[in-house]
Amino acid sequence: MNTFKLKISTPNGNIYDGAAVKLDVRGIEGELAVMAGHIPFMTAIKPGHCDILLEDGSERHARAEGGILNVAADSVTLLASSFSWAGQAGTPRQA
Amino acid sequence: MPDTKALRSRIKSVDSTLHLTKAMGLVASSKIRRANEAMMKGRDYSSAVNEVISQLAVSKECAKSAYMQSRSDDISRTRIIIIAGDRGLAGGYNANIFRLAAHYAGAQFIPIGKRACDRYGAEINSSEHYSSDDAAALSRKLCAEFASGDYDRLGIIHTKYVSMLTQEAVIDWLLPLSRSESTATSTSIVFEPDEISILNAVVPEYVAGILVSAIRESFASEVAARRTAMDSAGKNAGDMIDRLQLEYNRARQGAITQEITEIVAGSGV
Repeated sequence: MNTFKLKISTPNGNIYDGAAVKLDVRGIEGELAVMAGHIPFMTAIKPGHCDILLEDGSERHARAEGGILNVAADSVTLLASSFSWAGQAGTPRQA
Repeated sequence: MPDTKALRSRIKSVDSTLHLTKAMGLVASSKIRRANEAMMKGRDYSSAVNEVISQLAVSKECAKSAYMQSRSDDISRTRIIIIAGDRGLAGGYNANIFRLAAHYAGAQFIPIGKRACDRYGAEINSSEHYSSDDAAALSRKLCAEFASGDYDRLGIIHTKYVSMLTQEAVIDWLLPLSRSESTATSTSIVFEPDEISILNAVVPEYVAGILVSAIRESFASEVAARRTAMDSAGKNAGDMIDRLQLEYNRARQGAITQEITEIVAGSGV
């Protein structure tokens, strides 16, 4: 399966940096999914779920508190002010 | 003749100061690594957001956004976020920040860090424990007020971490956004729904990103400044003890010599 490079960056560091098959988020205009080979694209995302389909077929669920999705030719960057994986109480606070 | 008792208590007090500076230096050293890591993480995010902003800011459509309009340079309509430390004893760290802030007297200051809060009389918050959620909330509030025209300029005074030994107090202007000169942006990017809506959604993220990275960088500067200051204070205290010890020994010896002379003279030989 084709993969693309996905980077999820928050003020507390990069949460994810690696290959992904599909990214599902809630865009400002509605649900959207990004797969490899997507055209260069930029949108704001709303607070909501964020699901990543990994190369091995497993899926990771998370919640993003708004941010920007920037799809470039070779990589996808999701900038979120706050991001937490499902099953986690929240983003760990900076000590 | 010097008073040996006074000298002894002086040595004791300098010695306890030495212990204090040593302990503070050690605490600062232990925080340095974590502070540096946090700084690097904050930098990653803010540089990524910066990139997005600069791609958007060159588009003609975005020039109409409220965030791009420069209104006035009036100091009373300027807001400045000022980031200082929570504690003193960090060399010139806090003093440099306040000296820079003095150039902008008359502006409305938004202090972060206990020292800054004390000075500008605001509710106390800590620059060490300032979370990214707090920063996001502050940034959303500031951006909304900027857009509705409550103030005209937003700046941030923070400390730039140049190296372990050098930190520099600087001011950066966040709003209105300046148009970057680069035209390197590719026009083939699809914006959904359009540039201006994305820009308006991105600006609070951008301000929050800059804020967080400035706070983390300032904190890294603070601990580095404190360690340097404590190192040199410890060295000075050591030198002082050596000098006082010498003086004390001389005084003690002088007293003994005098006593012997007196005994010899008193024996009437």
